[in-house]
Amino acid sequence: MDDLFVKVTTKMILPFIQMYGLYVILHGHLSPGGGFSGGAIYAASMVLYTLAFGLKKGQQRMPHEVSSKVETGGILLYVLFGFAGIFQGYSFLTNKAAGFPMGEFGAVLSAGFIPIVTFAIGLKVMSTIVTLFHTMLEEES
Amino acid sequence: MNSLNFPVYILMLLLAFAVIIPLQRKPFGKKFQIAMVSVLGGALFMALLELIKVLTDAPYSYTFGSYEAGIGIEFLVDEFSALMTFVVLLLATLVIIYSIKDLEHEIEPHRMYSYYTLVFLALFAMIGMIFTNDIFNLYVFMEVLSLTSVAIIAIKKKKDTLMASMKYMMMGAIGSVTILMGFALIYMVTGHLNMTLIFQEISQVWELYPRNILLAMGFILTGFGIKAAIFPLHNWLPDAHSSAPTPSSALLSGLVVKAYVFSIAKMMYRVVGKDISVNIGITGYIIVFAVMSMIMGSVFALTQRDMKRRLAYSSVAQIGYIFLGLALATELGFSAALFHVISHAFMKSALFLSAGSIIYLTGKRDVKGLDGIGYEMPITMTVFSIGVLGMIGIPGTSGFMSKWFLGLAVLDAGHPELLLVILLSSFLNALYYLPIVISAFLRERPETPLEMQRDRIPMTMKVSMVLVAAGSLVIGLFPHLVMDIIEQAVPTFINLGMGL
Amino acid sequence: MSFRMIIDNINYIGAMILFVIGLYTVLTHANLIKKIIGINIMETAIFLFFVSIGYVRGGVAPILGASGTETLFVNPLPAAMILTGIVVAVSITAFSLSIVIKIYDAYGTVDLDEIMKIRSVEADE
Repeated sequence: MDDLFVKVTTKMILPFIQMYGLYVILHGHLSPGGGFSGGAIYAASMVLYTLAFGLKKGQQRMPHEVSSKVETGGILLYVLFGFAGIFQGYSFLTNKAAGFPMGEFGAVLSAGFIPIVTFAIGLKVMSTIVTLFHTMLEEES
Repeated sequence: MNSLNFPVYILMLLLAFAVIIPLQRKPFGKKFQIAMVSVLGGALFMALLELIKVLTDAPYSYTFGSYEAGIGIEFLVDEFSALMTFVVLLLATLVIIYSIKDLEHEIEPHRMYSYYTLVFLALFAMIGMIFTNDIFNLYVFMEVLSLTSVAIIAIKKKKDTLMASMKYMMMGAIGSVTILMGFALIYMVTGHLNMTLIFQEISQVWELYPRNILLAMGFILTGFGIKAAIFPLHNWLPDAHSSAPTPSSALLSGLVVKAYVFSIAKMMYRVVGKDISVNIGITGYIIVFAVMSMIMGSVFALTQRDMKRRLAYSSVAQIGYIFLGLALATELGFSAALFHVISHAFMKSALFLSAGSIIYLTGKRDVKGLDGIGYEMPITMTVFSIGVLGMIGIPGTSGFMSKWFLGLAVLDAGHPELLLVILLSSFLNALYYLPIVISAFLRERPETPLEMQRDRIPMTMKVSMVLVAAGSLVIGLFPHLVMDIIEQAVPTFINLGMGL
Repeated sequence: MSFRMIIDNINYIGAMILFVIGLYTVLTHANLIKKIIGINIMETAIFLFFVSIGYVRGGVAPILGASGTETLFVNPLPAAMILTGIVVAVSITAFSLSIVIKIYDAYGTVDLDEIMKIRSVEADE
């Protein structure tokens, strides 16, 4: 798509979409949303960039090596924080009893490991959607 | 290292390795193969330790997050789950050792890493489905399993593979949606997601909402029937299992379908309970469909000329046996069905792996063109013959023991006419398997001499095939090894209502 | 079957009608992409059914501390389950569409009747 209007509008609106996606991910334990929806919103911004500027520039922004490493890192982070409960002697994915700080009610850094796990899921969903989109476009050309 | 956590260790080891595989840069080499087999060996060792622990102590339940059962996800580790996990990992190790050399002929080299990622994710989902005690967790693992099992078929990009995988994907998706509808109806009536809590609720709520529970069981049975290939809904199985690469066929026929059968057993006996299942009449319907599977699967197999399609239709018939054992709703029937799950896994894997070796060496898939191959590839045809003898039910193989137990269970439940059906199906099995073995060993082709040669297939393929056949023989000659464990597990499964 | 009962349970009746429409689309239309859309419609029907189970008459949104000290919340568990279900539906759709792309490359058409004709011609050779 080579439209000047679309390119200028995308450049202006992209930071707001990404900020909103990050907000939904980080406030997953306080308001509706969480990892899946926040990751999808963030990925929508990358898909919009690829649609407006072409596949080559989109792949420069999010190359395949980076997205595959982010995917792996997301799942390994989840598994690692789950094992923290086992090391203390409780079950997998234990939250309060394993010693994660609970914080105060309503703050962003509260509720143990839930923000970290939500962030890992958000990263994984975002990189997966972008990888799927780029792979499908590559097959066509 | 507290061995209570072993189920989680096995699952997380498989998952972590599955996501590390796509990061490899170098081409597919020996170091990666050794790493892969050692990871599987480690998981197998942990499954063996888990089995020994559950047999010596009591079964236990493991909740995620140290919450109690109704709030957290629960894994119920009893004798049969530990045994099934051990069998799944053992067969998967042998099939993956086989696949290292065999896949070079079937898929392109840069897809090998993706193939193994998918196989490890499928194993992760299967073991999760076997352990779980929570119906929504069952649904999530089931979806991962159905997606990865379609992907290990579609990774071979030939024309018929694509259409077969599309058909499997569509029917699998319809099945999953139907199952979710059934789960929604159960949740609507009971308000719990944990299987033991649902069982307690349903036994109280059954008079108030009979139609709801009947509708839920109808949806769940149809959905699982599509995925486990009961007779009218089995159309996807011959195409999918015959056009897939050989290791995928062995994994699909031997393990994936059994995971769904085990889930139906859990739903019928652990969630709804034996009394309500018999009252509604579900068991009567399943007996009718199982009988039709057993006969029609064998009849269709008689007319196929492609070897792998014949084996796939034979799978439909054998799954009919397992459903017959499940539907009798007695302890003997249930034990016979579970025994046949394990013995059929070994036999069908042996058959598929040896058929794959024949295709690897000669490229022939037609049944009529196999004259004299017994002299060209004696080890392969011996493995094939052991599998065939097991399918027919010759004493000394595991197939005979499972037919024996099933016959005893049928007589004990008071349906002697079903014994005739079992014998008729065994006769039909002989009718389409024996000609292959006879023409391989006793006929000759003009261009090959009638003298024994050594098989010209790689060593890894030979060793894994022989080990699978040896496993089948061991279970046949010493069935009490497996049957003791099953008989220990069955009373808690079926009689969950009484004595609680 | 009074009118009042239909209005009260309109969610469930709508979900069932959507389910049957989706199943009809999968079974009868020949175009492969329409079959994928049919499966999507069926899954949307299930999500509607599931979420309307969780509704509690007179409850507010299940966020602690958002609206003072209310005590009657809508059940949040079906909503959490549907989030997972939506992700599953997206992955099924993505995977089926990539298989359809490969079928289009191999056969040149996405119409199931024409694909069957091409396959029967190939099988005769």
